[in-house]
Amino acid sequence: MKVLAAVGTTHSTAYDGTSYTRGGTVDRADVGALVQSAADGDAAAWKSLVDGLGPLVWSVARSHGLSDADAHEVYQTAWFRFAQHLGRIREPEKTGSWLASTARNECLKLLKASRRWTPTDDPQLLDRPSEDRTPEESVLDSEEAAAQTERVRLLWQEFEELGERCRQLLRVLISSPPPSYQEVSAALGIAVGSIGPMRQRCLRRLRARLEARGTK
Amino acid sequence: MSDLNDEYDAYDEYDGADGHGASGAYDERDEELHDGLVEEELRQAAAILDPVPAGLRRVAVDAFVLRDLDARIAELTFDSLVDGIPVRGETDPPRMLTFSTDAVTVDVEVTADGLIGQLLPPGPAGVEVLSGPRAHARLTADDMGRFAGEAPPAGPFALRLRTGREVVVTEWLRA
Repeated sequence: MKVLAAVGTTHSTAYDGTSYTRGGTVDRADVGALVQSAADGDAAAWKSLVDGLGPLVWSVARSHGLSDADAHEVYQTAWFRFAQHLGRIREPEKTGSWLASTARNECLKLLKASRRWTPTDDPQLLDRPSEDRTPEESVLDSEEAAAQTERVRLLWQEFEELGERCRQLLRVLISSPPPSYQEVSAALGIAVGSIGPMRQRCLRRLRARLEARGTK
Repeated sequence: MSDLNDEYDAYDEYDGADGHGASGAYDERDEELHDGLVEEELRQAAAILDPVPAGLRRVAVDAFVLRDLDARIAELTFDSLVDGIPVRGETDPPRMLTFSTDAVTVDVEVTADGLIGQLLPPGPAGVEVLSGPRAHARLTADDMGRFAGEAPPAGPFALRLRTGREVVVTEWLRA
């Protein structure tokens, strides 16, 4: 079973071996309550929603192989539209799926508008790290973290060399906090029942690549 | 569910193990465990190498001001990009959009040159062109419900129309 993911600030001091934690104090089950609070004017609730569900929305944009500019626009459109629909969403507890589905529709439109079907096969697009630096990146800049940085890069490189469908599925699955299968389904337009088997196949392909490289 | 730290530690042990590649050395449960560990490691890599850009997160936080509980939302009911039939030879056709509520229809045409619109039933209205939490332009629909202005800036936009009777806002959309 997929664990109900937490909504809230994701704190990740990755690779220090001890303090990796995930998620905030708010459970996905509380998304409905947060949406209600936000609709009532609670800015902190809105911020929690942005932090808890933003990475999912971003992953949907990134998984469709859009340019940076288009990915930014998809992300913005999804959040603007959600703000606009606050207080009107029929099933507030399913806001993650609502946002994922909205982002997906915008992605498909932008792809159609620019006929940009080929760049999804261009690993450089997914390869390009975001410009903003995170605290995690800064940590990785330090000398002692160089080896782990290399490992992260190798892992990411192997991930990007997977086939398009695996890259797309995994990119959404690895957003933080982990999305529910309903959300992944909304994000990619695939049946909930096929996610588990596809996930397994893709992860094993990735593991095989890592083992072949001797990096596991 | 086990603690994630435990899972991560377990992966460290797996790291040091020898002969793991031998077929049949692990049963399905181990395989699933290792799938989960690789997924988790990949999740951390994504958080490091491809996070939501900080400036973009800020835009989403600021978008809270865009909630509009009193306005009626006009939903997108026609989009030439999706529903239109391409015209042969036309390289950069205008984007035709129709937004509708029960009572009002707004037709919008967006080109590089500008934006023109038609409110139905026809009538005067104040029209705000929204392009995010801050920037906007103000237009006026004449007695025939017609309005025109500059093309919205890059990025998603919405129109907020104030007729005599109600406030209507179109669904956010990237032009």
